[in-house]
Amino acid sequence: MSSWRTRPAELCVAAGVVAVAVYFAVPRGSAQSVIYDVIGVGAAFAIGVGVLLNRPSPALPWWLFAAGNLFFAVADIIFNVLVNPPVPSVADGFYLAAYPLVAGGLVLLLFASGGARRYAALVDAGILVCAFVLLQWVFVLDRIVDGSGSTAEIAVSAAYPVMDIVLLAGLAGFFVSAAWRTPSFLLLVTSVVLLLVADEVYGVSPDSYRSGDWVDAGWLLSYVLWAAAALQPTMRELSHPIRRPYRRLRVGASRIAVLMAALLTPPVVLLVQDARGATLEIPAYVIAAIVISIFVMLRLVGILRALEVIRARERSARADAEQAQQLLAAQNERLLEADRLKDEFVALISHDLRTPLTSIMGYIELALDDGLDPPLDEERRSYLEVVSRSSQRLLRLVDDLLFVARLQSGRLDLAPTRLDLNELARQSAQEARARADTRAIEILVQTDGPVPVDADRGRMFQLLDNLVSNAVKFTPDGGRVEICVSREDEAVLEVCDTGVGFTDEEAARVFDRFYRTEAAVERQIPGTGLGLFIAHAITDAHGGRISAHPRDGGGAVFRVQLPLAESRA
Amino acid sequence: MSDLVLVADDDDDILLLVTTRLKRDGFEIVSARDGTQALELAREHVPRVAVLDVGMPGMDGLQVLEAIRADDSLAGTRVLLLTAKAQESDVRRGYDTGADAYVKKPFSPAELAVRVRELYDGAR
Repeated sequence: MSSWRTRPAELCVAAGVVAVAVYFAVPRGSAQSVIYDVIGVGAAFAIGVGVLLNRPSPALPWWLFAAGNLFFAVADIIFNVLVNPPVPSVADGFYLAAYPLVAGGLVLLLFASGGARRYAALVDAGILVCAFVLLQWVFVLDRIVDGSGSTAEIAVSAAYPVMDIVLLAGLAGFFVSAAWRTPSFLLLVTSVVLLLVADEVYGVSPDSYRSGDWVDAGWLLSYVLWAAAALQPTMRELSHPIRRPYRRLRVGASRIAVLMAALLTPPVVLLVQDARGATLEIPAYVIAAIVISIFVMLRLVGILRALEVIRARERSARADAEQAQQLLAAQNERLLEADRLKDEFVALISHDLRTPLTSIMGYIELALDDGLDPPLDEERRSYLEVVSRSSQRLLRLVDDLLFVARLQSGRLDLAPTRLDLNELARQSAQEARARADTRAIEILVQTDGPVPVDADRGRMFQLLDNLVSNAVKFTPDGGRVEICVSREDEAVLEVCDTGVGFTDEEAARVFDRFYRTEAAVERQIPGTGLGLFIAHAITDAHGGRISAHPRDGGGAVFRVQLPLAESRA
Repeated sequence: MSDLVLVADDDDDILLLVTTRLKRDGFEIVSARDGTQALELAREHVPRVAVLDVGMPGMDGLQVLEAIRADDSLAGTRVLLLTAKAQESDVRRGYDTGADAYVKKPFSPAELAVRVRELYDGAR
């Protein structure tokens, strides 16, 4: 929340506190009364401003607060103009009308937030109100009703404590349900509590009151804080639906304290009154105690029901969990079975594809043997050479697929021995030369000194062979492939070609399984997209790194970095 | 010891391939189509070199190799194992059992002939 949104509330509190201070600083009289009236009217309007500024939904509760406070302020003005008028007066009419407005606002907020559906909260509010009713009766109302004066005077005087009860009822319901801990909530609750306290102090001995008494501070600060609550941006959250779960059983310490105090009110008040020697209104205490007991019973029943619901939910959740676990176990079983079947399949393919390939390739070699009599004519020889190349490719594909399958089941067992990378490079160059010669591709090996690595000979050879035959494959006739081995902090092997190369984007993906560059697909260069994936896997398994770099002016560089073998002492 | 080369494979095509290629190089061949027969022929002829397929039904190549190594009269016979299994662990097992050479399928018949020649000349 940006700071300019919170500032109106802070300004309001600051200005209000200053105004209240000024109020008590100036001597009693009409000037002081004017300050009082300005604070009241100002607060009513500030609430209106707050509504327009913060746009709560619904806005009605806050308009009721504005109207209620305006009524209070108007009543204050009349009260001051008439200078302590006798009861009843026009001022009383406005005062008494103001209470239902603000109490109604509180109740509306309670409904908007869904708090009215919170059983436990409402019961707690009932207990609180009950205790308050008893207090009002014993200490305020009883005296008014039994006092002297006209019926109208008694009725109006008695209406104030009743209105306080109405207001407290609204507050109590709201208090237990609203958006806790928002600044607006705290301001509003403090404001209502101040209003109630001031009313009570006044109500206990109304005849001794004069304008400018300290009790005015309660009413004035109530105005100020109410206005601040409306100006505070969090006021919108007070009508938001309550997110806390309905049947939560946790009861806070502060709530227990409040309920305890409410419960103990009848006996304590009884004892106090007895000690003071006042007349004891036994039926009032008994009725209050009975009503509070009923509320406590309701609360207990609510808690027990909630417990039952929670237990039932727990049982069903546990059953669900058990079922899920069984399902998982069954699925796991099936997965293991599938994995085993895959391994068997791979082994089967391995054998069954290789056996016919052995025959095909072996007999082609026999057929192409130069020592045959009569010798093969050129046409048939060229046909058989195509078959030979194709079966070589097929064998390579089978080998690559088997390798990848084994890799995926995590069975790439390495048998590392001390190897010289130079020697390995020369060997793989030798292997590739036969094929390169037919296309006039030159293969160069650049080395300086031995580069020892601890690696699996077969796999290393496979890695180099993949890179070199790839380079030859992608290099046009008459091109050049270089294998450079060097010794830096690690063993470095580079295979450079003058082939079709790839883009920077493709460089990041050439090691992906089955990935083929655009150029490879376009030029119909045979391949499966497995060779570099395998090269990457082998490098990885040896704790090394492999990277692909496009070369300026075409071609590619594949760079393999491997840990150097530790020198033997 | 005879100058024969024993070739054993359960696949007729491969058996023919190997024997044909070896005959071209002038070797005299006895051939067997399973392990049991191979061992019988080995005991009968005492060949200089035995080319044994590993994956044969009944008695497999490794078992034949074990039996040959256990037989003092066959101490001079060199054994070359032929297999479709390309796993490193299989190769190691083959050597551990006492094989003198190992060739993986698919193989080049010419290369096989070279390996057999090496063993043949080495066997005295």
